[in-house]
This record gives sequence, C-alpha cells and structure tokens, in this order.
Amino acid sequence: MTQTNGNNLLAALSDSMAAAVEKAGSATVLVDGRRRYPASGIAVAPDQILTADHVVEREDDIRVVLPDGSEARARLAGRDPGSDLALLRLENSLAASAEPAAQEARIGQLVLALGRPNADGIQASLGVISAVGGPVRTNRGGLLERYLRTDAIPYPGFSGGPLVDTAGRVVGLNTSGLARGASLAIPAGLAWQVAEALAKHGSVRRGFLGVRSQPVEIPAAQQKALGREQPAGLLLVAVEAGSPAEAGGLIVGDILVGLAGQPIDDPDELLARLTGEVVGRPTPVEVLRGGQPATVTVTIGERK
Amino acid sequence: MINPADLSANLAEALAEVFERARRSLVVVHNGRRGAGAGVVWRTGGIVVTNQHVVASGRAHGRARISLIDGQELPTRLIAEEPEIDLAILQVDPNGAGDLDLPAAPIADSRLLQVGQIVLAIGHPWGQLAAVSVGILSGLGEAQVRGRRGAVPVLRTDVGLAPGNSGGPLMNAAGGVIGINTMIVGGDLGVAIPSQVVESFVVEALGEELRQASV
Repeated sequence: MTQTNGNNLLAALSDSMAAAVEKAGSATVLVDGRRRYPASGIAVAPDQILTADHVVEREDDIRVVLPDGSEARARLAGRDPGSDLALLRLENSLAASAEPAAQEARIGQLVLALGRPNADGIQASLGVISAVGGPVRTNRGGLLERYLRTDAIPYPGFSGGPLVDTAGRVVGLNTSGLARGASLAIPAGLAWQVAEALAKHGSVRRGFLGVRSQPVEIPAAQQKALGREQPAGLLLVAVEAGSPAEAGGLIVGDILVGLAGQPIDDPDELLARLTGEVVGRPTPVEVLRGGQPATVTVTIGERK
Repeated sequence: MINPADLSANLAEALAEVFERARRSLVVVHNGRRGAGAGVVWRTGGIVVTNQHVVASGRAHGRARISLIDGQELPTRLIAEEPEIDLAILQVDPNGAGDLDLPAAPIADSRLLQVGQIVLAIGHPWGQLAAVSVGILSGLGEAQVRGRRGAVPVLRTDVGLAPGNSGGPLMNAAGGVIGINTMIVGGDLGVAIPSQVVESFVVEALGEELRQASV
C-alpha cells in the first residue's frame, strides 16, 4: 500500500518536474551572440530577452531561437557588465514571458537549471540551492548584492538561462561569467530589477562618491559620541578632486559611519548603498571628524 | 496536505522499490579483461542486452560470461551486435541456465519521455555491484554515428555515469527501462540509447513482431 502510494508520489514528482521544465522552457530561448557556441536567455517580457552579458559580443543581428523552434533577430537594449546581465529586444517576434518566483530561493530547495544551447530542444539538470550569499565583488568589477549557488550541472550554453523551482518559476539567472570556475545564479528579484533599468535607461545607474577608504575600528568613546554601537567605519584615505565627495565637504581623515540614515561599516556596504536611486540626490553623509559626529550633505554623482 | 516526513519516506520507499525490481533483471557482463559492464534481461528466455563495446574484446568475443547479482555465473552466446549504436544481444546458454528464472525488465516507451522527468541509472560503476544513481532526463537529442544510421536518438541525463554503468538500464520513476546507458556514443558522458531503438534492434535480431510497450 505504501509502495503504491510511494510510487505514485515518485511518479508525481517526476511529472511535476517535467511540467516545470515545460513551463519555464517555454520562456527560455537560444541566444547566438558570440563566436563560440550559443547560450541561453529568459523572456522577461514578450519582446525582451534577459541574458548574460558575457555571451553577447555583438550589438545587432543577434540570432535568437524561440521555444517553438522559429528564428528571430534581436538587438542589444542595454547591458550591465558588473552584474553580467544584458537585455535584448526582439525585432518583429514575441516570446512567452517567464514567471519570476515571488520569494527568494532557500538553501536545500530543489531547483532545475535550464538551457537551450542547441536546436535539439530544452535541456535541464537537477540540483538544490547550495548557498545563498552576497554582497560579493564579481570578477567583472561589479558588486552583486545577492547570489545563489547550486549543484545542478551547468552544461555548456546554460549561461543566461533560468534556474527554476519545481513549479517552473524562475528563482535565478545562471551565469558562469561572474566567478572563476563556478556557476552562480543572479536571484530573479535582482535580475528583473536590472532588466527594468536596462529597458528604461540602457544601463544600470550607480552612485558615485569619489573617495577611497579603508575599514577602521571605532574606539568605544567615539561610539558613545555617535550614540550607537558601531565597532567599525570607513577611514577616508583619498578624496578625488572635483568629486561629489569634495564638493560636499568630505576630507581625508574623516571616518564615514553612515549614508542616508543607514550605518556603513564596510566598503561593500557603501557600494551597495550607492544605488541608481541616490544619483543626483543631496544625501546626508555621517562622519566622525576629530572624534566628533558630523553630518555633511553630498549630492551623489553617477559612476561612469 | 501531505506531511513532509511521510512524503520523503514514501519517496525513499518508491526509489527502493524501483531499484529492487530492477536488480532482478540486472546482470554483470564479464569480457575476460579487467573491469566489467552491466546488462539487462530484455526478454524472458535469457535474452540480455548490453553495450557492444563491453563484449567486443578479442578472446572473449562471442563468449562473454554474465553473473547475476547473487554471484551465479552463466555462459552466454553473442547473437547480435551493432557497434554503431553500441548494442549487443546475448543469449544465456540454456544448458548452463537450467531452470533459472531470469525475469525480463519492464520496458517503457521512450517516445513518451519529457525533459525533467526523474531517472535512475543502475549498473556497476567502478566495479561497485548494483549501484543506483538518481537524476533527471536532461535532454532529448540526436548523436551523429558512423555507418548506415548516420544519427541516432539519444537520452541525455545529469546522472553521473562511470565505467561499469555501460550496458545497464536507465529507468523512469515507474521502474520501466527507458534506455541502455553507454559512454561511447555521442561523445558525451551520460547518454543512453532509447528503449525504442533497443527494442527495434532486438525485434530485428530475433525476427519477431514488434510488441507493445508494457509500461
């Protein structure tokens, strides 16, 4: 009896994973935009394909093979090399859009990595979410707020394709271009955000301060003066001439401890706070100057 | 709503059941050299399918011995082989077999497969007898082969196959054989020749009517 039930369950799990592959596969396309073998992409809107930046070496005349096997042409709509994402716009063709998962992936969750690297059809591998991490500096000079790691096999040409849950919802975009020798996935929430920015502006804007800093300990007395427990801050070791930081009055020797009301205690945290949203905005920057708290207002610039 | 603990216990039970059933139709194929391959009883009456490359070697050619999982050894006779798709059919020697009951594995229709379905590969990887690995069907495609066929449909899986899996069955979640694992065809690790290709080969070799898939 349990055997029968068990086998029904195994068959049911098997069928549901096949259904997940079919569903997500209907929004997974082949992207032929580099010299070597093709890669994959995800339709995030009927005319928009999100893929990995490192697989797009051309800006125009990018061949895309849709899930029904038909060929389409696309051109580059924008790219964000730092997070290894690129958005393509289909010309005269439409694709079914993928459904992003509402919640972030959890460690241990069953996932399927999908790709469409050739004309044979969709390909998939099974694994679990092995780790959720971030922020991390990528080997492409960017900062990734969050990333997913999986033990699902990244077959050649899987970069740009989706990592999906067992219901076929996208939890991430796979890429081998962010970390040497490892395949990571960019969480769907982040990937869709970048796609939106690329569709609107063609690039992802990032804030620019114009300082170089190093983390330092904050002595107990100065933490007391600050009015909160914050054991570390960023000592400014250089302020670029003509930079937003200089214009706002930041000077070498200041210990940066907060930005826009949020405590800052390491360089990655500062980078993560300098999003496109703060560009052009007068923003309060909290420092310790001569051991005493002070706040200066800096109009954040845009990183070019 | 299913209790998660019951769910995983039932899944474990189901996998064990598929494996137990498969074991009864699984054999070890010895070719007289070091190492061994796997084979599966495809028909009652001692018809065993394995990889051609497992039985192809010189002195044992045509005279491979098989052993059952309980260790019993049996002589065989090679009745058909096709290097192009790396398949061979062995007839267990009826004299040696005696009243031996070799149950045929249930064969599933590989034309109904979908990418993402759970698969189990059973064989003797690195000489480990009757070991099982679980994964999914990764892709349905074709591999170029030399000879009259030109190309042959293959099943790709993410199950890590190793030497010793060759000739063993790839099964679906219901325990049906969907293919024969090979490491020779396709130039990749982890492909299987679909059951329908194997079935046609067996039918051709034995000269019988194509029967309906039983699972």
